[in-house]
Amino acid sequence: MLVLASLADGPKHGHAMIEDIVRLSGTRLGPGTLYGAIARLEQQGWIEPLPAEERRRPYRITGEGLRILRAKLTTLQQFSKVGLKRLETL
Amino acid sequence: MNSRLAHLLVFLYPRPWRERYGAEFEALLHNGGGGLRTWANVVWSAFHEHVFPTPGLNTEHSQFQSWCVRAPWAMFGLAPLLLLAAAYFVACFILWSGWKIFLPGTNTPFVPIDGLANFYFQVGRLIYFSAPIVIGWAIGLVAARQRLKVVWPGAGWLLIALIGGTAQVRASRTTVLSGVGHVRMAFALGPSVHGIPDGLFHGLVILSLAVLPYVIWRLQKALALSD
Repeated sequence: MLVLASLADGPKHGHAMIEDIVRLSGTRLGPGTLYGAIARLEQQGWIEPLPAEERRRPYRITGEGLRILRAKLTTLQQFSKVGLKRLETL
Repeated sequence: MNSRLAHLLVFLYPRPWRERYGAEFEALLHNGGGGLRTWANVVWSAFHEHVFPTPGLNTEHSQFQSWCVRAPWAMFGLAPLLLLAAAYFVACFILWSGWKIFLPGTNTPFVPIDGLANFYFQVGRLIYFSAPIVIGWAIGLVAARQRLKVVWPGAGWLLIALIGGTAQVRASRTTVLSGVGHVRMAFALGPSVHGIPDGLFHGLVILSLAVLPYVIWRLQKALALSD
């Protein structure tokens, strides 16, 4: 989800994704973890590669990826809304 | 990171993965920092990719995969059996040779010992007791990697647990006329302890330990899917 969220505001290559995810969530993904996620997301058709720039290859989110990200974030939003409401009653 | 080291790290990944992502991944490693954490992350991820390859990426229909589908009885029945037999042979050989080397005058190798002799016998003991569990883990690894149904791996686990649970090593000098130390294996359920035969109890322990990593993997997968 971190990779999808990072690509939601435009195509990025690996290093840019790592830095963006740090800003977004405070989590620094290791290169192996990032490329593990990229490979799986690409095979699922949720992201796609763009032509390589030198040796770096940018990726962009697909329409299906956007739909999945929106669904996941909506679920998360509902979950946090209910959770926070319950905390208010304490 | 040093470009040579980055190149080496990329080589830890399976070939289909390297062909698709190798160049860009190497560029990422080359441009990024190269601390111990990064190395550990890459090594672990490469290992993970070997065990659980990205679906759809590995287009090769490997010989191994083909064997798992065409002859599951061989992969999950015969192969574990042969491996277990080999491990038991090595363990018995260590027992027999240790007996000859360290305890030449005794009627049995099962006597209190210490020092190097103890270490030697413990190696054989370790092989003997860990073999069914390690082979069980290997069955689970193949089943998880090939994403197989649990029927054949289950049969393999039961077979290994049954053999491991009922195996008994006997050693005597008197059963052979020449008086040469004689080590042999027998398979029996053994006397009953608290209503459960010993062999059955050991078999259940082996079965539980052998399937544990596979069960954890299935649970993790189920939890990941439900997220």
